Amino acid sequence: MRFAYYPGCVAKSTATELYDSTALVAQKLGIELVELTAASCCGAGVINEGEPYWNFALNARTFAMAEDVGLDILTICSTCQGVMSQAKWQLDSDPKIMEKTNETLAKIGMKYQGKVRIKHLQWVLTQDYGLGKLKEQVVKPLKGFKIAPFYGCYLLRPAEALQFESHEKPASMEQLISVLGGEPVDYEGKTKCCGFPILFVQRGTAFEMAATYLNNAKKANADFMITSCPLCHISLDLYQKKAVNQMRFDIDLPVMHMSQMVGYALGLPPQELGFSKHMVSTAKVLHGS
Amino acid sequence: MKTQEASFRILRFNPEKDEKSHHETYRVKIDSRMTILDALEDIKHAQDAALTFRRSCRSGICGSCAMRINGFAKLACKTRVLDEVERHGEVLVEPMENMPVIRDLVADMNPFWSEIDRGSPWLEWDTNLEGSIKENLITDQQQQVSAKLADCIMCGCCFSDCVSRVFDKNFTGPASLAKVQRFVADSRDKVGVKRVPSLVEMGLWSCTHCYFCWSQCPRDVRPVTAISALRALSFRAGDRSHGARHVDAFMSSIERTGMLNEAMLYLKTMGWTTVRDLDLILKMMVKGKAPSPFLKPIPKIDEIRSIVKEGRWGKK
Repeated sequence: MRFAYYPGCVAKSTATELYDSTALVAQKLGIELVELTAASCCGAGVINEGEPYWNFALNARTFAMAEDVGLDILTICSTCQGVMSQAKWQLDSDPKIMEKTNETLAKIGMKYQGKVRIKHLQWVLTQDYGLGKLKEQVVKPLKGFKIAPFYGCYLLRPAEALQFESHEKPASMEQLISVLGGEPVDYEGKTKCCGFPILFVQRGTAFEMAATYLNNAKKANADFMITSCPLCHISLDLYQKKAVNQMRFDIDLPVMHMSQMVGYALGLPPQELGFSKHMVSTAKVLHGS
Repeated sequence: MKTQEASFRILRFNPEKDEKSHHETYRVKIDSRMTILDALEDIKHAQDAALTFRRSCRSGICGSCAMRINGFAKLACKTRVLDEVERHGEVLVEPMENMPVIRDLVADMNPFWSEIDRGSPWLEWDTNLEGSIKENLITDQQQQVSAKLADCIMCGCCFSDCVSRVFDKNFTGPASLAKVQRFVADSRDKVGVKRVPSLVEMGLWSCTHCYFCWSQCPRDVRPVTAISALRALSFRAGDRSHGARHVDAFMSSIERTGMLNEAMLYLKTMGWTTVRDLDLILKMMVKGKAPSPFLKPIPKIDEIRSIVKEGRWGKK
């Protein structure tokens, strides 16, 4: 199994533990990642609010790079996945956008053909690699752990563009948790916004969002939360203390990247999975210390 | 046609006798064609005449029967019972959110209408235009720009499920902004893009892109895309609010390095308010997690610069 690997910006700066744990998990499972080192930022749904067509041209360039090596793209960031899926969906369905974009790409000797598929690691593990096969690889089952899945927005909506699972009742995270031996917990807010997109604009509101859903997960007796988006991780882990302080909640809930949870269950050494880089310590739940 | 029984759990509230709302359960015989509205009518006629809900056209045009079905705002007349039962096992019906409840499934839509009014959603026609006394002409091409936005039937589904609105009552909501964009994009409107600067006060930058408004809209209006378009106009019109600064910092980072320079993005957007996070930045440095403000450009950065230069098609 080979993919054109698109880690995105945050996994290479603030959330290097996501980048590192993904590399280890992929190696362990025999998933070959051919990194698109010359790919640009996807624009994160922000650049189109400055210059809408940058969004198409930059992402189409990335798609063309993957098509050049004949591989589908693998992402590890929900925001990258959402933005790229939307860009592809619009490019593929609107000949005018496609033509204009390819005119721009032609000037740098590239062409997007509409062939590439874009998949998040979460989808690859549940579908391409397969839950059954993944289960066989588990050496350290997450037995006894109550785990709160946090889907957030970009991996689920708009469903027309993402074409993976229902945003009303998604299941891929729960399925992953279950095959790794953990117990998924349900709580209000798992498919809502973590607050990150407005963290720099409406800080108080962003904190309220994050703290509310963390609190809901805690009330559902979660031992930890998982996310497949490094931006959600910033909101839920990095800013957790500030967010819960603002709301006067007395909680600390560890938040793992999905790849870290998988790596842990596969028996990879926790110190290499980057847990030490979290703001809310995972040690208490993982080692009881 | 095959029939089966479905369980309906309905949130009830009678202001004359209830202190708070409570769920009541009904069993309804359904077939594969039946809508939630059909089932509610059945319950009202055969089981509980006091059950209160709005409905009118029964065909997805009037927008009256918007309510939360299994946690998501939808039109009862456009939603099949069987789809809900298959997905959720039961049918949970509640009034829309972000609005007070009048009775049972009837929400008080005044907050929604007040927000719609905030955007002055009417055509300010230009009486100096030739022929405008008799009619305001528009070409097919011009009409297409605002046509999708004009499809809004004001049902309130997007407002109900808007995550930002739950936490920020100043945020005017998706429908209101989509309505503004409908007139900004209308070539007959003499205010046009001059409508944009006042939107910052209405929470233009408070939308989180949660995409609930897109998912729940029964007319596929996609308000979030209208909000993005308005933000782009505001940014170009010289908006210097935090939201616009965030866009600006993002664009210059991509122009310079092809990637997002998180440290610079943060500093440029937050300005002096960075001091609030000094404790956090210090902790990040200790954990080796603080991103460097000196980011190396990606290989082939010239390609990005070429795209960026070529890509300014929208620039006036």
